[in-house]
Amino acid sequence: MTVLAWCVAAWLLGMGVYGMVTSRNYVHLIGCLSVCQSGTYVLLLGIGFRWGAGPPIFYNHPPGTPAVDPVVQALVLTDIVVGAAMTALLLAIALQVHKRRGTLDTQHLRPLRPTE
Amino acid sequence: MTQRWRLVLLIPAFLVLATAAAAIILGLPAFGHPLTHYGTAVNTLAPALRNVSNMVAAVNFDIRGIDTLGEESMLVCAVTATVILLRGHRGEDGSERAGLIPGRANAARSDGMVLMCRLFATVVFLFGVYVVLHGTITPGGGFQGGAIAASSFILLYVGGGYQPWRCVLHSPVVVGLEGFGALAFVLCAAVPLAFGYAALQNVLPLGTWKDLYSGGLMVIVNIAVGVAVTGSFGVLLIEFMEETRAPKGHDEKEGA
Repeated sequence: MTVLAWCVAAWLLGMGVYGMVTSRNYVHLIGCLSVCQSGTYVLLLGIGFRWGAGPPIFYNHPPGTPAVDPVVQALVLTDIVVGAAMTALLLAIALQVHKRRGTLDTQHLRPLRPTE
Repeated sequence: MTQRWRLVLLIPAFLVLATAAAAIILGLPAFGHPLTHYGTAVNTLAPALRNVSNMVAAVNFDIRGIDTLGEESMLVCAVTATVILLRGHRGEDGSERAGLIPGRANAARSDGMVLMCRLFATVVFLFGVYVVLHGTITPGGGFQGGAIAASSFILLYVGGGYQPWRCVLHSPVVVGLEGFGALAFVLCAAVPLAFGYAALQNVLPLGTWKDLYSGGLMVIVNIAVGVAVTGSFGVLLIEFMEETRAPKGHDEKEGA
């Protein structure tokens, strides 16, 4: 039980890598990258967790009561926002690749060269 | 490289990954018993030092505010790059109809759905504003609230379709929101510097505990982030929606 969270994080990373390696579609590959990234969410939230502690928001319970680590939660927040923006950027690249090459199959994509 | 060779190469890579992961997992502190003193210190000291009740916001916008400034810049850079990649010469006037590509569904909408989408877009937008404004008190903050507020734009699109949507949501407005939010954050960091304090130092009066104004400079940074995130997501939506429109023909050749 004590290592379950870490194993889930490693499993998510591994499955994301497996998906990226075997991917046949660029959009699918971006999804796999997001799976890899969700491993970091599990890892960070797991590191900050404390048994019997509440959320790090002292509204209903006064300051001084046990609370989980707010630093890693702030990190996860950062992680999610940047992840969303990077996914948007990668999808934009996918659109451009599809316009130029007519395919999103990662097996057939070659380095971009000037057309004509 | 063929599919088979990729899989063959993946096996040793996974072996290395599994070994490293096992070593790290066994070396990590036990689950539920963290060794992070920084977080404990923040939980103990920050409520009294900053008059805020949301410690995550305190870390994000004050104690590690300079890191959030870096993250905000990453967000703006990623959005700018997306816009550069996607923007063609289409749709700036918003006059042309979308969704008329052969084979793509263009079903008529019922009045009830349009009404519900408009009502809920308002509610969702107000909820986003609420989450932003209460960022230093209750769970939430600029990033979460901004994303919620921006999702109301999608509801407007679902309800009204492309053309009415573009009449409501103007590209310069959302671009301005994004830039204004990011600029306000930078100013919050730079103005204290100009007066001889540290960057992002909380020089404003701290306000009252559990009040809408609590946390001093944090309130302004929080709202700036909320505005910037709303703008960024709005820009992304507009640019990706542009891609659903039928190209004018010569557009494909441009910028090649």
